[in-house]
Amino acid sequence: MTTSLGFVGLGIMGRPMALNLMKGGHAMVVHARRPESMKPLADAGAVTCTSPAEVAAQADVTFVMVSDTPDVEQVILGPGGCAEGARRGAIIADMSTISPAATRRIAAEIATKGIEMLDAPVSGGEVGATNGTLSIMVGGKAEAFERVRPLFELMGKNIVYIGASGAGQVAKSCNQIVAAVTIEAVAEALLLARANGVDAAKVREALLGGFAYSRVLELHGRRMLEADFKPGFKAALHQKDMRIVLQSAHELGIALPAAALAAQHINALVGSGEGELDSSAIYKVLGRMSQAPSEG
Amino acid sequence: MTLTLGFIGLGVMGRPMALNLVRAGHPMHVYARRASTVTPLVEQGAVACDSPAGLAARCDVIFTMVTAGPDVEAVALGVDGIAEGARRGLIVVDHSTIPPAAARRLASILAERGVDFLDAPVSGGETGAINGTLSIMIGGCESAFRRIEPLLSCVGKTVLRIGESGAGQVAKAANQLAIVLTLQGLAEALTLARASGVDPAKVLGALRGGAAASRILDAMGSKMVTHDYRPGVEARLHHKDAQIVLECAAAAGLAVPGAAVAAQTFNALMARGGARQDSSAVVTVVEAMRARENQCAWLSLCSYD
Repeated sequence: MTTSLGFVGLGIMGRPMALNLMKGGHAMVVHARRPESMKPLADAGAVTCTSPAEVAAQADVTFVMVSDTPDVEQVILGPGGCAEGARRGAIIADMSTISPAATRRIAAEIATKGIEMLDAPVSGGEVGATNGTLSIMVGGKAEAFERVRPLFELMGKNIVYIGASGAGQVAKSCNQIVAAVTIEAVAEALLLARANGVDAAKVREALLGGFAYSRVLELHGRRMLEADFKPGFKAALHQKDMRIVLQSAHELGIALPAAALAAQHINALVGSGEGELDSSAIYKVLGRMSQAPSEG
Repeated sequence: MTLTLGFIGLGVMGRPMALNLVRAGHPMHVYARRASTVTPLVEQGAVACDSPAGLAARCDVIFTMVTAGPDVEAVALGVDGIAEGARRGLIVVDHSTIPPAAARRLASILAERGVDFLDAPVSGGETGAINGTLSIMIGGCESAFRRIEPLLSCVGKTVLRIGESGAGQVAKAANQLAIVLTLQGLAEALTLARASGVDPAKVLGALRGGAAASRILDAMGSKMVTHDYRPGVEARLHHKDAQIVLECAAAAGLAVPGAAVAAQTFNALMARGGARQDSSAVVTVVEAMRARENQCAWLSLCSYD
């Protein structure tokens, strides 16, 4: 049985994800703020709509992939939002990275209209979105997850149902903590090597074979050594995600000192006009801290 | 010309501030969520109102002193809020500590109704409020500030207009950044003494006379030494303000590594049940990292043996 699908938000991530869903043979209706973003989908046979409500009215499952918490609130609950159009029993799967608390609030609100919400943030970047190899962490009702799982499998490889509403976003926060703090650690290690006059590339190579191995050391470590900070994952987005992390820590009352510190270096990156660089450019911030003013 | 004044929020800070204005001879209307808190003001001749809107209809200048951004928004723009009763030309002076962005938003919404909104957070605590010696940091329209400057000198000693709308809250955020970091530093210093087997009371006495002396050290140092955490300043307020600092830094694209760590210490203090303890209780978080006892339940599930 084919399911009618909707997709709202067709940026760097949303576009390839929607295209992968269409390759599964599903009818697709789409909406994006900028009409030109819808073009590649229309070319592939998708129906374009002028509002999220119009998308949701025609879809059994509507996927949302936008930037931040207020965007998701607008797209789902705002005027012309999904909640206005969606039928009872429809599912909205939000794949954006937003606040877990806001997710629970939105899910509770649309539940009163008989609409199910899944939070399903992703990890894996543009490459993962294009190749259909994303990691997808899902929160919401288990039955809703089972209905959508075959669709998630068209977009991702590692699909994990974490728990009740908001749990997917919590997992994503955990992911961003590990990423930020590991980038920080790799950057500090390579800077220490350089400050000692030791070949940092050799150090990285040695570490890759040992206990300090990580994907971050491998990929981001190479970026740091080559000073190649093309994203990847933009610092401005990582900053947004770390604000969500620190807001949760504040609300819950839990100390996350290392994450808080790494977030400050990402702030400095964004404040230096380098928010479009990959977040591994934390390396540059740390380098600047210990650089005598006459250098560079 | 006599101005008719209003005061909303008569807690630990608001009550003595309002009393100082009444004693200076200004006619005063008051509103508080809990009716009992207005009694000391009514006894001094203030008129109690049953809503912020009702109060606004009678006043030329309204002072607000509530807890957080959403409280100020509710008082100003909510049902029966100031905006519903306000006359054109009203000046609202908000003494609460809220995010600069929230202050700017309120100022621009109220400006559309002909109401001037000044952000005017204070520093100096309950003692400063009682003695009328607060430091007041103001952001907003200069002409409105000029009109109310003489009133502010009834409640504060240092009255400074920092700049346009939001600038007062930025100054307060900078103030709180310095305070939470000083608290963190003092807590670590005294814990270092204790952990090294040295009498922290003696160390505190030595610090007091040297380059590490500070008002925070005077007010909070001995509480840390004696583990007496009756407030003073409730830690939940510094916890709230530390998050405002982190949000300001993120918005400005600035690294505030020290404040970021201090904010985490306050987060932990909340989890330990310290919300209504004095902020000097941050020392318990520093101490707890090394302690084997008093660990919370979910951590004790981990076994390292």
